[in-house]
Amino acid sequence: MIDEAALKQVIASVLGLSAEAIGPDASSDTIPSWDSLKHMNLVLALEQAFGVVIPDEDAAEITSFALIKVVLQDLVAV
Amino acid sequence: MNAPTGSAMARGSRDVLADPAASLAEIMSALSAVEADALPAAAHIGISAGATIDLLGLYLRRHALLAGVKLQVSQGNYDDPLGDLARFAEAGVDHLLLAPFLDSFEPAFEARAAILTDAELDAREADLRGRWRLVLQGAAAFRTVILCGLHRITAPVAGGDPLDAMLSRLNQALREEAAAFANVRFFDMAGLVANLGRRDAFDLRFYLRNAAPYSPALLDAWARQVLAVSRAYGARFHKALVLDCDNTLWGGILGEDLASGVKLSAQSYPGAVFHRAQTEFLALQRQGVLLCLCSKNDPGEVDAMLAQHPDMVLRQADIIAKEVNWSDKVVNLRKIAGTLNIGLDSLVFLDDSAFECAAVRSQLPEVTVFQVPASPPDYLGVIAAIKDLFLAGGATTDGGAKTEQYRQRAQALAAQQAFATHEDYLASLDLTVTLARDDRTRTARIAELSQKSNQFNLTTVRYSAREIDRLTADPSVAVWSLDVADRFGAAGLTGVVVVRCDGDMATIESLFMSCRVLGRGIEFAIWPSIFADAAARGCRRVQASFRPTAKNAQAADFYDRLGLPLTAEAEGMRSYEIALAALSPPPSPWIKVLHD
Repeated sequence: MIDEAALKQVIASVLGLSAEAIGPDASSDTIPSWDSLKHMNLVLALEQAFGVVIPDEDAAEITSFALIKVVLQDLVAV
Repeated sequence: MNAPTGSAMARGSRDVLADPAASLAEIMSALSAVEADALPAAAHIGISAGATIDLLGLYLRRHALLAGVKLQVSQGNYDDPLGDLARFAEAGVDHLLLAPFLDSFEPAFEARAAILTDAELDAREADLRGRWRLVLQGAAAFRTVILCGLHRITAPVAGGDPLDAMLSRLNQALREEAAAFANVRFFDMAGLVANLGRRDAFDLRFYLRNAAPYSPALLDAWARQVLAVSRAYGARFHKALVLDCDNTLWGGILGEDLASGVKLSAQSYPGAVFHRAQTEFLALQRQGVLLCLCSKNDPGEVDAMLAQHPDMVLRQADIIAKEVNWSDKVVNLRKIAGTLNIGLDSLVFLDDSAFECAAVRSQLPEVTVFQVPASPPDYLGVIAAIKDLFLAGGATTDGGAKTEQYRQRAQALAAQQAFATHEDYLASLDLTVTLARDDRTRTARIAELSQKSNQFNLTTVRYSAREIDRLTADPSVAVWSLDVADRFGAAGLTGVVVVRCDGDMATIESLFMSCRVLGRGIEFAIWPSIFADAAARGCRRVQASFRPTAKNAQAADFYDRLGLPLTAEAEGMRSYEIALAALSPPPSPWIKVLHD
């Protein structure tokens, strides 16, 4: 299982927010600082924090907390 | 690995920054925490790149903080160095990182290498030179400008690849353009990529989507090198390497293993490691680094090693100061700094003992400390880091002769004993000081000295080469340089005076000298010439001031000693003024003043 608190903390660090600001519906649509540049940093940070490699086809698509959780869940379960 | 930031909190933010394995998210939160507590930014770097490298800023701030510098980072626009220059200058940027990128010339330019005709390649090179020459000319006001070379992303074809030939030609062009400017350093980007390995240096996913080719690991290594090249953004200027002896210069303990038993032969292991280490230290010495010994040993035995041991690479003449005794190393390091007349923060200390390293780190935090690793092969990595510290910022202009100059100073100190009076001694030195006014060929050295002089620096204005050029060209300003020589040798350009004439008032804006030449009266002998020049330009009065810093207390009463009356004093700042006709500096007849 992915530790949601840890996941929120990583997203918050990269976007320069506090972890409380990352709700279950957080996404690049609801958080203004979540731009394409930050998203790239987020993918790199997630890979390092969870010890996974996010495939290219997913990397650009996971622009919400929920999607990130699903993709990480799959990668960690393998 | 489910609670990365939680563990970061527990470790303390500074430890996270120092941990090479820290993850991106950990570094990001640790940086905000440490920077929030730190003083206002001490340096400001602008990044102008032909690729997306925003994340580099994060790593630059990390390594700067680890060196005690809070760094502000400004990002330029994509591939717009000239536009960035203007924006950066307005924002107060003082250091500049220029990172051209091969594929920004035109898409898939790497692949075009094999397609380009010679004429097209000639045109490319001319275009590259022209563009960057313009940028570097516009960058003259920045303190350091780091121009990164070009590199390839794809793997080369074994047996010769046209792209490599093109790259070496274009990089040679950039190197040559960089060499024309005193404040510009060429940065070997291809070397950095090779060091890390192509596979680990790039992330092609983001390269193809976002023009962001570099992996976090490459950006981290890049940032560490930029710190070294910029000399910690001007905060550090390392001058001397202080070496322990046992298990540092040779394997084993001289007092126990004796000269015949220490490991130092180039044909043995681990002797070969120490032989190589000594050779590296000698190379540093030849490039201007002052080598010193600080060892708990019998001084006679160490001298015998230096004089006679067949496998020693370093000899007596290569060592400028020795503290070989049984005293505390902290005391000895202070003595060495005193003998050389340099600050403790100019020292790098290398010792195999964890105890000694810890003692120096805690009691002399200004000293940079390296420990010789327990495993000899790891030693080479430590030496590489030491070389970076001294050399990445460029060897100093007259560095090679420096040990010789310091030695002359030490010999002169010894000779001092034999004379009846101090003046007799000074007279025996055949001292000459050559004054040159507004000499543009000396600009680079003048600017360098203004950056390095701390102790005898009355106002501590740090000039860039461009500022010196501007002052030199200004008819109301005289930039005087002092070249000092004595019968032992030439000390080179070791002093500067900047005088501005405005109406009948001459203002001494700057006065700084290398501490190597102080104490001989030169700081007094120069004034008749300088004031005569000011009088010839219509000045009748002279004003001067002392501005205190953490390091220049020894110069606080200089103008009093020169005979200028104090007119105001506030918060350590001292102001002076007098009519030129009323001023008679203390005489120093033992010095011959020449004009260049």
